[in-house]
Order: sequence, then C-alpha cells, then structure tokens
Amino acid sequence: MNTTSLEISNVSKYFGGLLAISEIDLTIRPGELVSIIGPNGSGKSTLFNVVTGIHRSSSGAIRFNGKDITHMKPYQVTRQGIGRTFQQTAIFRRASVLDNVIIGQLLHTRTAVWGAIFNTRSTRRKEAQTREKARQILSFVNLEDKDSQIAGNLTQEAQKRLSIAIALATEPTLLLLDEPTGGVNIREIDGLIELVEKVRKSGISICLIEHKMRMVMNISDRVIALCYGKKIAEGTPKEVASHEQVVKAYLGECNAAPGK
Amino acid sequence: MLGAYIAFYVVAFFNMSYWLSIVIAAIILGVLGLIIYRLIFYPMRNGPHANLFVAAIALLMILESAALLWFGGETKWLILPYSNDVIRFGGMSLGVQRLIIILATLMVMLGLELFIKKTTVGAALEATAQNREGAMLCGIKVTQIAAMAFAIGTALAGVAGVLIAPAVMILPSMGLGPLLVAFSAVIVGGMGSIRGAVVGAFILALVESLTSGYISATYSLVFVFAAMILMLLIRPSGLFGKEL
Amino acid sequence: MKTIEQLRSSPWTAWLALLLIALIVPLVLGGYLITILTIVCIYAIACIGINLLFGYTGLLSVGHSAFLGIGAYAFGLIAIRFGLGFWPSFCASIIISGIAGFLIGIPALRLKGHYFVLVTLAFAVIINIIMMAWIELTGGAAGLAGAPRPDPIPLPWGDVIRFQSPLSMYYFILFFLVIIFVVSYRLINSLVGKTFIAIRDDENLTQSLGINTMSNKLVSFTISAIIAGIAGALFASYNTVISPDSASFMKGVEIVAYLIIGGAGTLAGPLVGPLIMIAIPEMLQMVPEIRQLLFGIILVLFIIFLPKGIAGEVSFLTSRIKSQPRNV
Repeated sequence: MNTTSLEISNVSKYFGGLLAISEIDLTIRPGELVSIIGPNGSGKSTLFNVVTGIHRSSSGAIRFNGKDITHMKPYQVTRQGIGRTFQQTAIFRRASVLDNVIIGQLLHTRTAVWGAIFNTRSTRRKEAQTREKARQILSFVNLEDKDSQIAGNLTQEAQKRLSIAIALATEPTLLLLDEPTGGVNIREIDGLIELVEKVRKSGISICLIEHKMRMVMNISDRVIALCYGKKIAEGTPKEVASHEQVVKAYLGECNAAPGK
Repeated sequence: MLGAYIAFYVVAFFNMSYWLSIVIAAIILGVLGLIIYRLIFYPMRNGPHANLFVAAIALLMILESAALLWFGGETKWLILPYSNDVIRFGGMSLGVQRLIIILATLMVMLGLELFIKKTTVGAALEATAQNREGAMLCGIKVTQIAAMAFAIGTALAGVAGVLIAPAVMILPSMGLGPLLVAFSAVIVGGMGSIRGAVVGAFILALVESLTSGYISATYSLVFVFAAMILMLLIRPSGLFGKEL
Repeated sequence: MKTIEQLRSSPWTAWLALLLIALIVPLVLGGYLITILTIVCIYAIACIGINLLFGYTGLLSVGHSAFLGIGAYAFGLIAIRFGLGFWPSFCASIIISGIAGFLIGIPALRLKGHYFVLVTLAFAVIINIIMMAWIELTGGAAGLAGAPRPDPIPLPWGDVIRFQSPLSMYYFILFFLVIIFVVSYRLINSLVGKTFIAIRDDENLTQSLGINTMSNKLVSFTISAIIAGIAGALFASYNTVISPDSASFMKGVEIVAYLIIGGAGTLAGPLVGPLIMIAIPEMLQMVPEIRQLLFGIILVLFIIFLPKGIAGEVSFLTSRIKSQPRNV
C-alpha cells in the first residue's frame, strides 16, 4: 500500500532577479496521478528541479513522507523514493539498453570495490540479480527485445520508454515525469499513455508535466495549472480545463504576470 | 618564451630598438595565435573539454622543443643600455625594467578594458563569452571572435615575454613557471575579468614576495599555488569573475 | 572442453598470447630491449591507473606525477631511513599513496572540468617543489640512493632468485603489471566499473539516479593514486636511486599522453601507448629534443583526428564492421 505523499509548501525559486516559481503549494497524495500544465516558461520543470534538489529553493519547504527534503542533494532525494525523467530525454546513449537499466539500479546494490576485484560469489550473485531485475523492468516497458541495442540508436519513443525504465529501476514510490511524450508522434502517444497508467496501477504515485491535453484529461486525478511561476488553478481535469484564467493563459494572457 | 626570444633577436641580431620588438612580437605572436587556433583548436571545438587541455599541453611540448632545436639550449641574456640602472625613491630602489613592466601592465589593462567595454568588437567578445548560441543568433561570427580572442591572448603573452626578457634568463623552458603563475592569477582574480587577472597577479606576486622573505624562498611558489587552490575551493569564480 | 574455434575467437587467447610474448621475447633477445620493456611496463602500470580515472570515470588528472613521487619517496624513505626491508616498505608506500590520493582527492574533486585539471596540476607542482626543497627529508635535487631490490626468493631446488639482473627485475615488474591489469579488468566489468562509466558519460543523470557521484569519484581517484604509487615504488626499486625528476610534472603529462595515444577507455590502451611511444624512439635512438617535438606533434594529431587512440579506433572500427554493440 503506497502511503507516500509529497507536500510542497510555499516554495519559490529565484534565479538572480528572475522569479521562476512563486509560492507554490502542492500536495500529491498516495497513488494519485497529478498533472501540471501551463505555457512554456511557467516554471514546471523548475518545480521538478527544486523538488529533486537540482536547484535550491529560495524559500518554502518540501516534505516527502513527512521527511524534510528541502535541502537534500539530488542523489539523496532519489534515495528517498522520488524518481524522475527529464524533458530532454536523459539516457546513457553510448551504453546498451540493458546497461542503462542496470545503472538505474545501482543505488540499491551495495557492491564494494573489494568484491568487484576478487569477483566474490556474492558479487557475482548481485550482478546476476541486477541483470535479471533489469530484464524484468525492460519487459514491463516493452523493450525486452532491444536489450542489447545501443540506447542512442533507439527511436524517440523507445528512448522515452527507456528513460521511464531507468527511473523505475531506482524503485521510486513517486515518479516525476517531465513531458514523457515530448517529440513523440501522435500515433505513438497511446502506447506511452498506457505505460504511464501501467506504472500508476503498480502503485507508484505520479506527477506529470504535459502539454498534450488529451493525455492530461484522460488519466489525471487532479490537474494544476501554472502561469509565470504561480499556481492559477487546481482541481479535476474538467474544472481546470474550463477555468477562465487557464484558457486565457494558453491564449497568451495571464493575470499572474509579474507586476500585475 | 617566444616573445623573449623575439626581443633578443630583434635587439641583438638586427640591432633595432627594443620598443620596436614589442610591436614585432605582438604581431608575430598574434599571427601565430591565429594559425594555432585555426589548425588545432577550431577543429576540436565540439569535442570534450578535457581534450583541449591535452592539445594545449602538446602545443607546449612542440613549441618548447622547437625553440630548443632552433635557438639552442644555452641561456641568452638581453642586456639593454639601461639594464643596470636603478631608480631610487623613498629608501627603495627599483630596477628600471621592473618599472617599465609595471607601467606597461597598467597600460595593457586599461587598453583591454577600453577595448572590451567601449568597442563593438569588444561587446561581441563579451557576448560570445556569456552565451555562445545567443551570440550566434545575433549574427556575431563566433569563430572569428574566438580566433581573435586567442590571437590577442598569444600576442599579449609575446609582449609579456618581451617585457620580461631583459630581467631574466632566456631559455626555451622559461615559459612553464610564469604560465602556472599566470593561471593561478587568473583563477584568483576571476576568469572573464581583465581587472581580475591583473589584481590576481599583483596579489600572488605579493604572496610570493612576502612568503619568500618571511618564510622561505624555495617554498614561495608552493604558497602561490596554495592560494590558488584555496580560491578554487572557497570561490571558484575568483574575486571578480563571473558566477559559474 | 572448448574447441579450437572458440579458443581462437575468445579475447583471452589474445591476452595470453601477448603475455607469452612478453615473457619469452626478452629472454631470447635480451640486452637493451629488456631495459626498454621494463620502463614500458612501469609506465603501463601508471597508465592503467590514469585509464581508470580518465578513460572510465572521465576525470583528467595531469598531476599524477605527484603520486609517482609519493610512492617512490615513501618507499625509499621507509627502506633507507628506517631500514625496513623491501616488502614492508613497498606495502607501506602503497598505503601512503592511497592516503595521499584520498586527501588530495577530497578538495580536488569538488571542482569540475578545467578547474579540476588545474588543481591536479597545482598539486603536482607543489609536491615536486617539496621534493626538491625539503632537503633533510628527500635529499633535494640529488635525491636518495640505495633503494632496495626485492628480497631474494629461495627456489625449491636450493637455488635462489636474486633480483640483481635486469631480466629478473623485468619479470618482477611484469608480474605487477599483470596483476594490476587483471584488477582493472575486474573493476571495469563490475557494477563499480559501470558506475564510473555512467559518471563519465553523464554525471548529472547519474546523480539523479541516486548515486553519490562524489564518493565514487573519490574511490576512482584513490585507486588510480595507489596504482601510480605502485609504479613509482617499482621504479624506485628498479633504479635504486630516487630523484625529483622521476616525478616531475612532465611525467604526469606523459602518462596521460601515452594513454590517449594508446586509447583511453580501452583495456589495451594503457599497454599500447607506452609501448609505441617509448620503445620506438628508443630503438631509433632519437635525440631528446626531437623526440619531444615529435611527441607533441603526434599527440596533437591524435587528439584532433584520432581522439579515441589506437586501441579505441580499432575497437570502434571492428564493432562497426561487426555492427554489434561495443563493450565500453
């Protein structure tokens, strides 16, 4: 039973003079799928970066399962159970698909240098286990037949699947997906939507940044809309889609603009 | 090193004015800089950064051994008519050449600052340093700017060589020591700031002289590097440098 | 039981054949070749260390001459000043190199890219100056004399192996080369090795996957320092004289250069590089200035046109031909 929850309280982030996100409050409850929408530059990816520790928040607090993760380094945040993908598909292009997922598991495998050098039985066992688990994850995302291919040679859609597989390998209880269908053509989106739902059904909470409304409307429990770094709407997909400010934001106006 | 050799040959061989050798060195080394940029660093511009470092070191080896083969390994001395003159004031004595070096440095610093801040080309240089792609989008010919920056760098190194030539031994290997100190000065002063480079150099010179006098002459370089390492750990962007 | 076919295509066969050649050729040809090959082996050991750090973890250190020197001087000082035998001094020098690597690595690795390289340079120069200047400890520019050779090994039939001849020292050093090669092989193919490679290829992604890249980089740095220390100690034992120019900054640069020419990030690279760059000039009896000039030119050409080095390009081409994923 997934009991994890993410609480973002009053988080802001300044880059020099630029206010990227401002006083964001957001809670993600166990098992939920929350989507974040908003025009480009509204701070969605920055929010992810602040949560995962890539950027330090300028103010506010972030709690995950009751633990304060506001000032944690990225690798520590991941170890708490938050996984993520990136807008620009981040995979190890030179390595094989299988190796990519193996690397994703490394935070959970404690092999010492000693064991590696002397090829002890426990090391070999761990390596075999890691390999086996990697194959399982690959079949979960439907990439098991490509396990020995070089990651950089995959199609854009397959690369997105791979990046999700890598994030899953870290055994997260919350997965942050940053535009998982970015650059994927329309016919292939359904496959990715299915995958996201599959992940969600396996018990992992999901927070999704997306532009493709069809996806957002169909699968989200809740939707948050950002504009110029401020939250302008929150609610069910239907509520947010018809929210006056959201419509305006996508058409170009936004009352949350700085100075107004 | 090459600058020093040029000065030596201009004065001793061709019997021309020392001041002329400054100009000649600047020109020759500027052109050399362009050639080196075009042949070596331009083709490598998209590769991993570490390789650039290696290429630079390879260049060091080539130039040093070429100089050794061409000029021979014996130490050369550049004696100028005023080499032994000393100016005395306030109880201190200062060699004339050293005074020239200080003045020249200040002039160069001023000149470069004006160039960067007041001319269009200078602005283009700054723009490229801050954001290469943005500069390209503005129509700035980034490769030309890079080549020019490189050439200015080598020309200045040549001028430095000319300036220091009367004061030190001229050898093919004379470049490495000052190079390391120069790097330390840039780091302490801050990359990307002319003012910083000069300030850094003065600070390190102070460190070197003070530790030389009060602690130990042989270890003074160690303190200079320790200062650089300290700066790298506390504030990698240096005193005046741009934030990393 | 493997068939001849399997044996022929297995990579192990190639390595074993190479080992056999390395064992037999000097025995047969002898003379100056042994000296050259001994030096090649010592450099190869150091190159393997740098390969781990640069080829597989992506950290360029031009200052590993510091660890060559620390290894050599630690070994020499403990043996000469404290009068301990070969093996205690050798082991102590390994430990000291490791500690030095750890201590230098902690501040140095906090920096990225160019700054890291510069700091390694700075440390190398600092250590070199200390070696020259701290005369009471290191003997200054004259160095230390009297570093011991390995203790004689008694053989079952009553004879004794004394390590006085060049050939015996060659085999001794070759032995260490083989051990360190196997160690690096194991490391690279293990999960630890995969972590290093991940850090090399995309440190940010690796961090976001929950891996503490700083501690991993430190491990890689320390191991490479230990390996360089071993090379330094072995050279000290071979030479029996320890001087500061065996650990000059240029030595550190040479190691990196040999590795790049040989092929960083490959198993064969650290072996091919020193072999070609040391053996050939020696055999052609080049004048040092010309050798340095050619060295610089070759290095520049390689770094521009063949950055993967000899072994790297060969491996790249053969995998292209077979169109299979490369094991890197």
